[in-house]
Amino acid sequence: MKPPFAPSKRYPFAVSALALIAVLLSAACGTPDANRPAAQPQVTAPAPSPPPAVVAEPPPPPPPEILRELTEAEEIEVGNAIAAGLLGASPLAKSQQQQKYLNNVGFWLALNSGRPELPWHFGIIESSTINAFATPGGNVFVTRGLIERTRSESELAGILAREIAHVVQRHYLNDFRKNAPKWLIADVVSLKSNGLASDSGRAIARVGLEGFARGLPREDVFEADKIGIAIAGRSGYEPYGLVAVLQTLNAIPPNDPAMALFNTTHPSPADRLATLEKDLPPWYEAFAKPNPALARYSAAFKPPKPL
Amino acid sequence: MLLLAAIGSVAAAALVFAEPAVTVKEVSLRQTPASDAKTLATVPPGTRVNLVKREGAWVELQAGKNTGWTKFFDIRLPVATGGRSGGAQTPGLDAAALGKAAPNVQEFSLLLTFASSKQQAQAFAKAGKLDARKLERNQ
Repeated sequence: MKPPFAPSKRYPFAVSALALIAVLLSAACGTPDANRPAAQPQVTAPAPSPPPAVVAEPPPPPPPEILRELTEAEEIEVGNAIAAGLLGASPLAKSQQQQKYLNNVGFWLALNSGRPELPWHFGIIESSTINAFATPGGNVFVTRGLIERTRSESELAGILAREIAHVVQRHYLNDFRKNAPKWLIADVVSLKSNGLASDSGRAIARVGLEGFARGLPREDVFEADKIGIAIAGRSGYEPYGLVAVLQTLNAIPPNDPAMALFNTTHPSPADRLATLEKDLPPWYEAFAKPNPALARYSAAFKPPKPL
Repeated sequence: MLLLAAIGSVAAAALVFAEPAVTVKEVSLRQTPASDAKTLATVPPGTRVNLVKREGAWVELQAGKNTGWTKFFDIRLPVATGGRSGGAQTPGLDAAALGKAAPNVQEFSLLLTFASSKQQAQAFAKAGKLDARKLERNQ
């Protein structure tokens, strides 16, 4: 079979046309680094002056080999493997009451999201660090350190809703597909029969955990903030709970060790607040009737003392 | 004495929480949480104020002898000095921990036991007076 980029007599422009399509596709698929400039089409254009010391235009990068789209069943298996990996790093909180409470808040939010049919699981991770995680397929985790910084059920809902938004928008799934080597698809297909602790499970978890350590593109974080607020609002929560959480996080000293991983994997709370202020429709305020102070939140978690 | 204590506790209950805040732009303190409400006072950016309470997108601020409402985005909370997490404790869930984690299937099975359901979640919402609603621009 002829290589795809070989010119032929009948289609002399096949090379440049295919190359053009390839680079435009690779630009459209996005990159983990939002600062990387979009690939330029391979047409000659006058260089801006004064030009930097570059001798020639580098050839366009080859199209990235992204893992094929996964079925929902495969997505769930991948997410479960990543969740098992995360729980290998830090265990669950043992309080049944707190975990059930979290799952009720989360499941209610998920029912009002774009993917209510997923097998949503929510867990408190017993870690003093401040963070939250979501896997493909609907496993969502919040650390003890972050829970302790919330004041109310609506703030907790704000956090869970934006993690749900990551799953609904497939942000972590797309990250997994971009960063998983192509041969990993065999592990994905065989995972259900091999089990989460198999070599397949480990390989999949490795890619997912590397994604958590790297963080998502900034646009994905901003998008999840905005969609999360909508999910919380649609669920009957006053929608600014997440804004309150971001205000709290913005007030934590940047060198606090509890924030170490969070700071390297997210845009700053200040940037997220500024973005939300710009992006939230002002008419959301009409839905901001405060929720009654829910005793069940205080029964599950003692809120922090005022600063 | 008992009466004073009773009055004190009623006054405290009226405050959701009172914490220091700083304005980050010129702020109009309004009589009620509405953009067309009467402005009672104007406060320059960088002013230390007390955040008396929050209602959704609006906060009630006390600046000197003036108290009024402005947008939650108009203030920031000051960065704490000498934070809660004090000394150098190993955080645990850092990049290194993620790098060497091995799947814990038992813990994952435990996660599944906490799952809610559509029925439970709907009952939970009802008990908390949370009604599902459409977010639509009305009027």
